[in-house]
Amino acid sequence: MEQIIAQLPQQVINGLTLGSIYALLALGYSMVYGILRMLNFAHGDVFMVGSLIGWGVLQLFIKGGAVAVGTPAVGPGPVLVFMVCGAVLATSALGGAIERFAYRPLQKGSRLTTLISALGASIILQNVAMLLTQGRAKAYQTELVISPDWAISALGATISATRIIIISVSIALMLAMDYAVTHTMLGKAMRATSQDREAAEYMGIRTSRIISAAFVVGSGLAGIAGVMIGLYYTQVDFMIGFSAGMKAFTAAVLGGIGNIRGAMAGGLVLGLAESLGVLFLAPVYKDVIVFSVLIAVLILKPQGILGKPLDEKV
Amino acid sequence: MRNLVRFVSMVTLITCIGTGIAYGKELPPVKIGAQGPFTGDLSKIGLDALNAIQMAVEEANAEGGIKGRKIEVAIGDDMGDPSKGVLVAEKFGMDKNVLGVIGPMNSATVSAALPSYDRAGLVVISQSATNPDLTERGYRVMHRICPRDDAQGPAAARFIAEVVSAKSVYIIDDKGAYGQGLADQVAAALNRIGVKVTRGQITLEDRDFSPILTRVKAVQPDLVYLGLSNPAQAAGLMKQAVGLGLSARFMGGDCMKEKDQLVAGAGGAAEGMYITAIGRAIAEVPAAREFVKNFEGRYGAMSVFSGQSYEATKILIEALRVAAGDNPAGLTKAKALDAVHNIRDYKGIMGFPISFDEIGDVVGASIYVYQVEKGDFREVIEYPAEV
Repeated sequence: MEQIIAQLPQQVINGLTLGSIYALLALGYSMVYGILRMLNFAHGDVFMVGSLIGWGVLQLFIKGGAVAVGTPAVGPGPVLVFMVCGAVLATSALGGAIERFAYRPLQKGSRLTTLISALGASIILQNVAMLLTQGRAKAYQTELVISPDWAISALGATISATRIIIISVSIALMLAMDYAVTHTMLGKAMRATSQDREAAEYMGIRTSRIISAAFVVGSGLAGIAGVMIGLYYTQVDFMIGFSAGMKAFTAAVLGGIGNIRGAMAGGLVLGLAESLGVLFLAPVYKDVIVFSVLIAVLILKPQGILGKPLDEKV
Repeated sequence: MRNLVRFVSMVTLITCIGTGIAYGKELPPVKIGAQGPFTGDLSKIGLDALNAIQMAVEEANAEGGIKGRKIEVAIGDDMGDPSKGVLVAEKFGMDKNVLGVIGPMNSATVSAALPSYDRAGLVVISQSATNPDLTERGYRVMHRICPRDDAQGPAAARFIAEVVSAKSVYIIDDKGAYGQGLADQVAAALNRIGVKVTRGQITLEDRDFSPILTRVKAVQPDLVYLGLSNPAQAAGLMKQAVGLGLSARFMGGDCMKEKDQLVAGAGGAAEGMYITAIGRAIAEVPAAREFVKNFEGRYGAMSVFSGQSYEATKILIEALRVAAGDNPAGLTKAKALDAVHNIRDYKGIMGFPISFDEIGDVVGASIYVYQVEKGDFREVIEYPAEV
C-alpha cells in the first residue's frame, strides 16, 4: 500500500503525458468521423510518419553539428520548432493526399469501400516506412534537445521538461482547436457539414474543401503528436502507429466519437486509466485495463462520456 | 544396308548422349542454410552473422568446396519471428541440397523451427540460442556452440553478488523464450545466494516504459536486470529511466552486446551497464586475428555473433567434408548429422576446442562479463560455464 501511494504522483504525471498525446491523436479520428462517418485507419500511420520526419530533421541538425553534447550551436527551442514544422508540413500534406486520392474517389460508394481503402493506405504507409528504416527502431536523441537535468521533483515524482512541454503544448493546441471549432467560420462550416452535408451545401459551404481541411488539420495534429511521442519514448519505429492509433481511436469512442471536446476528455481519461491501473495490476496488463475501461463506459453510457444520443436522421 | 546405317547412327547418338551426361553433368552444389533475423530490429546482429557465414563459405570454396562440390548459402530471413521461423525451416527441409543449417539465432525461433528440422532430419547449429530447454527436448538435429542460460544466469547472479555486491535486484523481462528464460535463471540463482529479487514484465511491443520504471523507482533496487532480447528496447528503457530520475545500475544478457542499437541508441544512458556474454569478444582471441582483419576489412566493425557464426559454419563444412569421404555424390542429411554430432575438439577461432555433448550442447565454454565504458565494451571477468 505504501508503495502504491509513493507511486501515485508519478503515475498521474505519466498518465497526463500519455493522455495528452492520445487526445491530440483522437482529435483527428473524431473530426473525420464527425464529418464523414468513416474511420480513418491510416491516421495512426500518419502519426508514425510525423514521428519519423521529426527524427529525420533532428538527424540533419546533429549531422550539421548544430546540436551536440556540451556546446550546441543552436538552442533547443529552434530545433524543436524545426522538428515540429517539418513533421506538420509532411503529415498535413500526407493527410490531404490520402483524402484526395484514397477516399474522395470512393465517396459515392458504400461506407465499407472507404474503410477498406483506409486500411490499404495504412498498410502502404507502414510498409514504405519499414523499407525506408530497414524495419529498425530509430533513437530520438531527446537528451540533446531537452536536457534530462531540467526536471522538477515534487512528492516523489520527477517531472522532466519533456513532460512539461508535451502536456502544455497539447493543452494549448486543444484550447485552440476548441476555440476554432466554436468561434471561427471554418469551425462553423465544419459543424454544419457534420450535421447535414447536403443542407450545408445549399447554404453555400463548399463541403469538399471542409472535408479536406478536416484531414489536413487532423493530420497536422498527428504530426505534432508524433514528434512528442518520439521525444517521450526516445525511440520510434514503423509499428508505433498501430498501437497508438488503436488507443487514440478508443479515446475518441470513449469521449463520444464525433465530439471534439469528447476526444480530448477521452484521451486524458484513457492515459490516466492506463497509468493508474498499473498501480494495482502488472504493467503487462495495461492494454487490458484500457479496453476494460472502454467496455465499462460503453455499457453505462453507450454514446461515450460527452457524446449526445444520436438523433434519428430523417 | 539401310538397317545398318540406321543401327550405326543410333549407336553413335546414344554414345554421344551418354558421354555428354557423364562429362557435362557436375554434382549440384551443397547448400548451407543460414537462418536468422536479417531484417527488423535485430537485423544488425543477423546481417553480421550472415556476412560471417558467407565469408566462411567463400573461403571453403576457394579450398575446393566439399571434395570438389561447390558450397552455396541459402538465405532464410525469419525477422526473429517464430512463425516465420517455421516457414524457413519447412523450406530448407524440402530442399534436398540443403545439408545443414546455421541458425536460427533466437531461442524462440529455434524452439518453433526445431520440429520441422527434426522431421526433415536436417542438422542445425545455432550460434546464439541460449534457452536451456532447446537441447533438452530430445531433438537429435539440435546443436549449438554457445553456453546455455542456466550457465549464464548463475554467472550473472554470482557477479551481481560478488562484484557489484547488490542487496536487491529488480528483474524486468519481455515474456519471450529468451528474455523470460534468462530472467528466470538469474532470479533462481539470486534467490539461492540470498539477494532480494523483485520481478516485473513488459511485452516485446512496448515502447512506453514509464509504468514499469515507476514501479522500479518505488522499490529502489541496487541493480536492474534486463531479460530483454531487443537491444533497442533496452536502450529506450534506460533513456526513459533517466527521464524519471531513476539512477540504478543496469545489467543484461548476451544479446545486449550490440554497439549500434544499445550504446549509440541509449545516447550515454548505457554507460556503466554490465553485460554477460556467451563468448569472448572475438577480437581478443589470438587465433581469430586473421578472421577479424578480413571481416572488418570487408564489412566494418563486427557485432556480437559474427565470430560464433563463422565458427559454426566452419564446423559444419568440416563435418560435411568428413561425411563426404571420397564420395561427395553420396552426401546425405543423415551422414551430415552424424558427422556434426561426432565433431571432437575442433580448433577454430573461439579460443577453446569445440565438441558437442550427447544432447548437442557445446562443451568447455565460458561466460564473460563486460561493462560499457566510454561507449565500448570492456571485459571485467570470466567464469567457466557450469550448469
